[in-house]
Amino acid sequence: MSDSFSAAAPLIHAAGLTKSVASGADTLAILHELSLEVAAGESVAILGKSGSGKSTLLGLLAGLDTPSAGELALFGQSLGTLDEDARAALRAGRVGFVFQNFQLLPTLSALENVRLPLELTSRENRSAAAREWLSRVGLGERTAHLPKQLSGGEQQRVALARAFVTEPELVFADEPTGNLDPETGAAVIELLFTLNREAGTTLVLVTHDYALARRCSRCLRLEDGRLEAFDPDTPHIREATP
Amino acid sequence: MTPALRLALTGLKRDLRAADVRALFMALVLAVAAATMIAFFLDRLERGLERQAGQLLGGDLVLEQSEPFDDSLVEKLKDAGLTLSRQVEMASMLRRGEDFQLASLKAVDSAWPHYGSSQVEQRSGTETLERPPEAGSVWADPRLRSLLGLSLGDTLQVGEAELRVSGFIRREANPSGGFGSFNPRVMINAADLAATGLEQPGSRIDYSLLGAGPAEALDRLSPLLEGLREAGVQVRDVRTDRPRLGSALARAESYLGIAGLAAVLLAGVAVAMASRRYVERHLDTAALLRCFGASQRQLTLIFAGQLLGLALVASLLGALVGLVGQALLVRLLAGFLPLTLPAPGMAPLFLGALTALAVLAGFAGPVMLRIRRVSALKVLRRELDPLPPSAWLVAGVAAAVFGGLLWLYSGDFGLALALLLGGSAALGVLWVCATLLLRAVLAFAVRLAGSGPWSRALRLGGGQLARRRQAGLGQLLAFAVTFFAMAMMVMVRGDLLATWQAQLPDDTPNYFAINIQPGEREAFAEAIAPVVEAQSALYPMVRGRVSAVNGAPPADALSPEARADNALRRALNLTWRATVPEGNRVVAGEWFTDAGIERDASSNDAASNAAAEGWLGAVDAVPAKAPVPISMEDGLAGRLGLGLGDTLTFSIGSETLRARITNLRSLSWDSFTPNFYVIFPPGVLEDFAHSYITAFYLPDDDQGLANRLAERFPGVSLLNVDALLGQVREVLFQVTRAIELILALVLLAGVSVLYAALTASQPVRAHESGLLRVFGAGNRLISRIQGAEFALLGGASGLLGAALAELATVYLYRYWLDLPPQLHGWVWLALPLGGALAIGVIGHALSRGLRRQAPAASLGLLGEV
Repeated sequence: MSDSFSAAAPLIHAAGLTKSVASGADTLAILHELSLEVAAGESVAILGKSGSGKSTLLGLLAGLDTPSAGELALFGQSLGTLDEDARAALRAGRVGFVFQNFQLLPTLSALENVRLPLELTSRENRSAAAREWLSRVGLGERTAHLPKQLSGGEQQRVALARAFVTEPELVFADEPTGNLDPETGAAVIELLFTLNREAGTTLVLVTHDYALARRCSRCLRLEDGRLEAFDPDTPHIREATP
Repeated sequence: MTPALRLALTGLKRDLRAADVRALFMALVLAVAAATMIAFFLDRLERGLERQAGQLLGGDLVLEQSEPFDDSLVEKLKDAGLTLSRQVEMASMLRRGEDFQLASLKAVDSAWPHYGSSQVEQRSGTETLERPPEAGSVWADPRLRSLLGLSLGDTLQVGEAELRVSGFIRREANPSGGFGSFNPRVMINAADLAATGLEQPGSRIDYSLLGAGPAEALDRLSPLLEGLREAGVQVRDVRTDRPRLGSALARAESYLGIAGLAAVLLAGVAVAMASRRYVERHLDTAALLRCFGASQRQLTLIFAGQLLGLALVASLLGALVGLVGQALLVRLLAGFLPLTLPAPGMAPLFLGALTALAVLAGFAGPVMLRIRRVSALKVLRRELDPLPPSAWLVAGVAAAVFGGLLWLYSGDFGLALALLLGGSAALGVLWVCATLLLRAVLAFAVRLAGSGPWSRALRLGGGQLARRRQAGLGQLLAFAVTFFAMAMMVMVRGDLLATWQAQLPDDTPNYFAINIQPGEREAFAEAIAPVVEAQSALYPMVRGRVSAVNGAPPADALSPEARADNALRRALNLTWRATVPEGNRVVAGEWFTDAGIERDASSNDAASNAAAEGWLGAVDAVPAKAPVPISMEDGLAGRLGLGLGDTLTFSIGSETLRARITNLRSLSWDSFTPNFYVIFPPGVLEDFAHSYITAFYLPDDDQGLANRLAERFPGVSLLNVDALLGQVREVLFQVTRAIELILALVLLAGVSVLYAALTASQPVRAHESGLLRVFGAGNRLISRIQGAEFALLGGASGLLGAALAELATVYLYRYWLDLPPQLHGWVWLALPLGGALAIGVIGHALSRGLRRQAPAASLGLLGEV
């Protein structure tokens, strides 16, 4: 599956990507000259331990942050030449996000939260679209509820609806089950992949959950700031990570 | 609608529930309400004063000369847009049967009066009339009742005409003549003037043209009026001849100005506190929107749009409150302001909206920039908050904007700059003091031994303050400024009222007796002594005109403004006195001493006989070289640009007298006692023709004395100023009410600061109490800790506020309100205690909801709601 897509123009192209931060007098490299291509329609899991730089990588790939060195292109557009505003404009309507801590705005109802990314576009029938996506995640009856009136799983389902409501080409997910119990997490994963398949979206998922990674078409592992392909079903790895 | 605008609107709708937005809104409404209300009020007061001036003058423009006015001039004035009334005044003998009485006759036409009304006692009772006496009738001074035994309906012979007495004048619409016309007044209709046969060539008659019309008409006429002035016509208009309504009103205006600024400043502080919380609350939203592709410009539009929308609604509401408030003020001042006021203009509304925007931009602007700078990466890493703007930037922008508002309100750039610089310096000192004070309070709290529940609460509460020292410092400053502004307004109000009360005590003289001849002086004093309760000194009075200043004619020696001063255009009442009159204060130079007089005298050639013959002798001997020391009122000296050492030449009768200013006095013109611009030392004026003046208080039930005095001393004129006194008291009372209304606004603005500051710090406090709860603290202990923390904060800010208020009032009294500086002991006790209590109780009450929350919710609250 990954082979058939790798021939097309990649949605994400990264080469020699480096991210370092100053740590006292020293410089600490979080990501070290890593390269990555993600083709349209792919689902890519990036695995790594806590503190391995997964979220940093996700931030770079989504254009939320800038690399210290290296090349990075999103939708064929080099991010190096774009300022923060231009990078934001590139994301608008084309990129969806799912976060570990849901990132729902507490004063907004479920419907308003889903509608939020649509508000930045000139699309018509924003409320209808948001309502439809809430129904698709099974929360059609809870549109008026505030996040604090929803369970963790329900909140993440609202976040899924919000990620897909703009019908994006690319969805980034950062530990989407990190804050959920296994059962709820499994249900959310099921929903994420169903929506992803139905919408034909490209998915980049950052996780430390092997079960989740296994659902993706390609798995990469981030270790010591470098990225390498790996098979989550490899016995060596399974033993190493209980 | 653009996406940003849509988001701004929906966001605003949702945000109206948030405490910080409410505090922001309330502060803006109050700022606008205070600004518009005071602007409206001062606008109307200005017009009211002009109208009242017009009423006293008899019109907006009054021309006076000793012969009838040409019809061509009358036509020109009418063409310019004035309505005119003619008035003729002269002295005339009245006759009733065998009795004769000299009276001051005034004939007025049907257009009289332009403004105001007369109160006339008629058969039907005392009526307020806005018309002249009817043809064939006469209105008479009530004194003529005893002088001529006159009653309503009697016939009175005025010149050759026989007229019926149809009323007694209680109050004349424009009591012209002033102190010059002490003969009893009679008023007739102009139609009867010819029949009296009094208007003969050569008679001494004053002809007046009273004009009423808009200010533009007067402007158009100014070249013509200048020509008339040069031709010897006396020209007076409301703008140049506005009466001094007194220092009370001037102080009230100043007070309102300061109070308005205090309200705006407090609202600004509240906006600053609330906007910080607003921004912190919206950083997540901004980061998320950034993540979804919003540009910095869109973020600015969304959040600035929200606040702008808020400011607009607040402006409207504030302006509405201002409108209602000013209507209330006008109602309070109804007896004083003219009844028909022009509709409120639009200018104060714009001022209100401008105030809201300026306060928002100045006090919230720099903080708002944080939202713009938020990074999208914050969605992944919560700790990535943009740095808050530097305190210097925030304070600098706020100070600049506040300075701009000061300039806008006062129209005085120098004053605004001085206040601003002074305020900034004070803020710097305050910052240092606050830091030290906070440190001291914390040291005190932490060292509290004792294991009682309250000392434990104080220790823990102090500890909480210590952990958030920077935030605590900000709150301490905000509260201190709030207490300072509130206390200052209360203090100034109290001192203003006390000063007014002291100025017009119950036994303030209500009668002036003038024209007491030197021979009658003793007898008159004896006659009134047993009856009157309070009496001013008997002052001799000599009429003299200033004929030269520093040896040159006034026209050459003085500036044009100084030349226009009324004091130079008429004869001054001069007096002599050995001691400083009661109620006067020497503010420069030295009061006359015998030694001083002698020293001065020895410096001229006539030294040898000066002491023996007194000053007059010296003057006679070498008039040009022997300036007499005089004391001048400091206000007049200021207006004429004169100071110590300047010389004036007075024409008294046919003689001239040179005098040098050796001291300046300040005095209160609204004291209802005889006041003098110029006082000579004894021994100079005695030989000139003079009479005496005194003022005394005659209780209501002793009014018969006035009639007896009039009979026994027919030459003495008694002037009853009860009505005027009552009017001044009424004005003071009404102005006091107006001040209280404004004070309420200032206090409300103060409360909005407390509310904003306390809600802003709520999430942090919630987090702390959540943690304490997790560690096992009970509700009662947490409640006490919070109470103790608020009380410590309140007490310290109260102390700082008290110091600030005391310092500021000294400055204000000295330079602005012209009141003697006073210490206010109560402030030092009331503010720290009241502050501890107020902040303790309000803060404690506001945190009640938090204490009821489960610890998990409290902990989760941090940075979210």
